Amino acid sequence: MKYDVVVVGSGPAGSVTARFAAESGTKVLIIERRKEVGVPVLCGEGISRKIDEWGMLEGKRWIASKMEGARIYSPDKTCVTLSADKAGNETGYVLYRDIFDQELARQAVKAGAKIMMNTNATDLLTDKDKVKGIKAKMFDEEIEIEADIVVGADGVESKVGKWAGIDTTLKPEDLETCCQYTFTNVDCKDAYCDFYLGKEIAPGGYIWVFPKGKDVANVGIGILASLSESGMAKKLLDDFISKDPRLKKGEPIRFLAGAVPVANPIETVRDNLILIGDAARQVDPITGGGLTHCLEGGKIAGETVGRAIEEQDFSKEFLTAYEEGWKEAFGKKLKRNYLVKEILLSFEDKTLNMLADSLKDYKFDEISTLSLLKALVIKHPTLLMKLRPLIKVAKEI
Amino acid sequence: MGKPKAKVDEKKCLACGGCIAVCPQDAVAMCGSRAYILDEKCISCAICIRTCPIGAITGEVY
Repeated sequence: MKYDVVVVGSGPAGSVTARFAAESGTKVLIIERRKEVGVPVLCGEGISRKIDEWGMLEGKRWIASKMEGARIYSPDKTCVTLSADKAGNETGYVLYRDIFDQELARQAVKAGAKIMMNTNATDLLTDKDKVKGIKAKMFDEEIEIEADIVVGADGVESKVGKWAGIDTTLKPEDLETCCQYTFTNVDCKDAYCDFYLGKEIAPGGYIWVFPKGKDVANVGIGILASLSESGMAKKLLDDFISKDPRLKKGEPIRFLAGAVPVANPIETVRDNLILIGDAARQVDPITGGGLTHCLEGGKIAGETVGRAIEEQDFSKEFLTAYEEGWKEAFGKKLKRNYLVKEILLSFEDKTLNMLADSLKDYKFDEISTLSLLKALVIKHPTLLMKLRPLIKVAKEI
Repeated sequence: MGKPKAKVDEKKCLACGGCIAVCPQDAVAMCGSRAYILDEKCISCAICIRTCPIGAITGEVY
């Protein structure tokens, strides 16, 4: 079996990379260990509406609801509101992630990519240390897939990077451990996404309530693994739910676990190999959001891979165009937000309460972590001292 | 008696992959949509046990 490119993983990062590689005329195979693309969902399902500008998805079936804004609750329940009318309606969607993933896979196939399901990558195929493809198990059958370029889009649990000698192991302080119920029969009074902060509520993370319609909502938690004990995320989430009147009559129609890298950017390129998406730790360390990076980075990756095949140059040097591209597009933001994450983690609950109190009537011009950050600095110039490393990063950019 | 090694409860595991991402020994892998521990690599550090959001990993003495 010989392809130009083999993509490990049919999530958004894998499918978008495969699509743009196939569109530039390369022979692409996606392998997927699961039985169905997009299932099980492992995601809070929120996404920024800036994906509209990229036009990568057709139809509307993947949209569960449109977000009107966000509310952030400090430990003492002081509420900071980021609303859509102030932000020119540019907010976001709550997704049906399974349909979303399947739509992206459909686009990849339309562009000419092939998909092999129930196929679990087991190692790199190498010849004298040179990457030649992927070894995999399709059901119980061991197979070898030759390819000039291997794309590791194998998620938070990525092995492809490790096989290629890239250290992708996450420190517990760089992983959010998560779980989430999808509840029905709850009272979502509006289309705002709510976030709850506090050491008692979600140490090193937050609880979210994302409405998926009038009476359906995703209710989830992420806590920092370094602050976690066995089963703690679920316990804290259950506590929260039992005390929230909106959720009292809710019944779960889904329960899922998740893990989100909140790390600094890593290297993503080797000879004949690239990493992308959660496997490349391309996640915003503050929000835990990664979907937009998969789409934006996937396009850059697919086009770079396409050019590499055309030129028959699969060297690290050639593929570095992808790494430079994604670092330019969103890597700087990730680096900055990692520093902000560290600062936020150092705040006591009472500091968060004080900061929220100072922003409770603030009018934000956009719904983003950057606009929140700017507001904080305007209100609390002394915070600038703590944020000084950011200025250094800004200079490097 | 040796130190307890990690063991995944297959009925509970929801395959989120967090334990795999944090294991310093690369001793956890996904198999049939469940995490499983490679005993010979496990060094009993318990990081995976603490990381599991739903308490699906416990320590077991062999």
